[in-house]
Amino acid sequence: MSNLEGLGVPGVFIASEVFEDGAARQAKALGVDPASVFIPHPIQDRTDEEMVALADAAFDDIVARLIEG
Amino acid sequence: MSDPSGGRRVVLDPTSERNLPIRERLPRPKRLEGLALALLDISKARGDVFLDRLQTRFEERGARVRRYRKPTFTKPAPVDLRRRIAEECSAVVEALAD
Amino acid sequence: MPACHVIQLIDPLGDPGLVEAQHIEGFDQGEVPLERAGRILAHWVSIVGDPVGSRPLPPRWIMESPLALRPLPSGVVAFVKRDCPTCAFVVPVLADLAKATSLTVYCQDDPTFPACVTAIDDSDLSVSWHHDIEVVPTLLRVVDGREVARAIGWHRGEWETLTGVAGLGPGLAEMRPGCGSLSVDPDRAFDLAIRFEAGRLAARRVAIADGEDEMEALFERGWTDGLPVVPPTERRVLAMLEGTTRSPDEIVASVPPDLVPCTVEKIAINAVMAGCRPEYLPVVIAAVQAACTDEFNMHGLLATTMTSGPVVIVNGPIRKAIGMNSGRNVFGQGNRANSSIGRALQLVIRNVGGGRPGEVDRATFGNPGKLSFCFAEDEEGSPWSPLSTDLGARPGASTVTLFPGEGPRTIVDQASRDPESLARSYAVNLRSLHHPKAVLAFDCLLAVGPEHARVFAEAGWSKQQLIERLHALLMIAKAELVRGAGGIAEGIPESVPVDALPKFKPGGILVVHCGGEAGLFSAMIGGWVNGEMGSQPVVKEIER
Repeated sequence: MSNLEGLGVPGVFIASEVFEDGAARQAKALGVDPASVFIPHPIQDRTDEEMVALADAAFDDIVARLIEG
Repeated sequence: MSDPSGGRRVVLDPTSERNLPIRERLPRPKRLEGLALALLDISKARGDVFLDRLQTRFEERGARVRRYRKPTFTKPAPVDLRRRIAEECSAVVEALAD
Repeated sequence: MPACHVIQLIDPLGDPGLVEAQHIEGFDQGEVPLERAGRILAHWVSIVGDPVGSRPLPPRWIMESPLALRPLPSGVVAFVKRDCPTCAFVVPVLADLAKATSLTVYCQDDPTFPACVTAIDDSDLSVSWHHDIEVVPTLLRVVDGREVARAIGWHRGEWETLTGVAGLGPGLAEMRPGCGSLSVDPDRAFDLAIRFEAGRLAARRVAIADGEDEMEALFERGWTDGLPVVPPTERRVLAMLEGTTRSPDEIVASVPPDLVPCTVEKIAINAVMAGCRPEYLPVVIAAVQAACTDEFNMHGLLATTMTSGPVVIVNGPIRKAIGMNSGRNVFGQGNRANSSIGRALQLVIRNVGGGRPGEVDRATFGNPGKLSFCFAEDEEGSPWSPLSTDLGARPGASTVTLFPGEGPRTIVDQASRDPESLARSYAVNLRSLHHPKAVLAFDCLLAVGPEHARVFAEAGWSKQQLIERLHALLMIAKAELVRGAGGIAEGIPESVPVDALPKFKPGGILVVHCGGEAGLFSAMIGGWVNGEMGSQPVVKEIER
């Protein structure tokens, strides 16, 4: 995760679900609770159509973490 | 002579260790319309396709999207890139780590 | 030295924090408190179980750990090293003992020495260290795993008594002193201490990931005051703890705002981070103790919107002993002791107590002294008693005084040659402390510079005389103080039934002597709210 919160820019971090455990542990160690959205693995071998579908599926979650309320 | 820490660097915790202080997140922007939103591609494969779609969706909702790209996913975002984002945008979506 | 409790650690399980410990059969649980064994275990757990990428350690390494220490074999046990003339001298004696009795030899530098017996390799010094071997050769008599007698160096009579074997070393001199044991060699002492003693340190270990910059890592964790801190490694913290005779687990204060019991170890960790030397540690400890008293009210001082922070003034012999500055630029930068001691106090409050700006600390402005504000009084050049004794401390003692102060303001008077004129200069300046209409609620620390002090000294004014004169000069007519007076809304209500009020309460003016020898200046440091609700200055004796 880029440390843009440190520069005053709130953000959302999107990663494959295999990242979830490691990200959580790193966050805990550093004392941060970054807004994250995890999408199903795998990523690398997806077709373009599949990537678009994943983006659509994740969009509402991303907005929920990006915007207040 | 064996080094108990296996060569890693270990420091002692100077805090009370009572609870790990969770640094609060910054306040979130209130709405998408008019939001100067950075989409930061961390340069892993397929991230660009993913972000292209997010850009379309965000622009439909009225956000002003700017695209950025880390030169390589193996290193942290360079200082200049982070500064540009901070100057030009109010929020950031960073993708796609795997 | 009590027999060591034997713990064999087996592979850590996948889950960080889970390590199985197994007692080896046949050895009793006696002497070593399980609490210590538990701490040793905790040390290993935190090393192997850090949340950022833990990895299991190879089983062989764990088996070799210094914790897997067997009790000494019964009989006669000798500790030697090849690089020692006395050890070479007694080789024939060892040969005789090997034939006459049960003899075990540990060699610190070469297991092929001596040639006449098969020595056990103690080149990692774990056995020597655990049995406090300071000299080689040392001879022990061991019964049932416990040492019952010890002979240091070669001494025929002692060796014969200890071993029960007569006629040892017939051609040799009666006695010969030994050499230093490698386990007390200063070059190796800290590595050994870390391996074996780090279990005494109870703090959670935090591993810095490979590739992580260690300075950035400490910033990321929120442990700094905005400037980089020295990474508090076990080695540095153990070295810092040498600066005190106190035990690391002694609780010396309860730190606000979270009211956390604070150990000497935690203070040492923050003192390392601040850049202190070990000899500063007793001053830091005393400062933390003083700051955490009810009288000083660190919590209130922290939570205030006003400008003040803890100011540490040091008196007594310790000033010179640790090289503090009481002269030129006394409030400024450049002196390690001054700067790091003040900083260490702030780091303890921040890290241990949980008192951070923007959280409990709501100061509107704060002041640069909240990074660090610590200095020594110039007692040698002073015509007066030190600040410490004014507050009731024992004359000649080394002390810290805590004062809840803002930044210093200069008093410029380059013309007064008599004490009355100079006192009046002080008074008109002191009048404006916080606000010319503010009375009674705030104290002041007046720092008299050497050139000004000379004016009073030459006129024979004592400190008490100066203070009394200032109080008298600072009796202010009500008409000047009321709300609306001077077109200023601030002030006291008209209804207050007095003709005049003093700027300062009795005892509210403290005087300290410090500063460079050139310059017709003094300085005033305004306080925070005084009395029961606020903060009162506290003096504390420093104990090593």
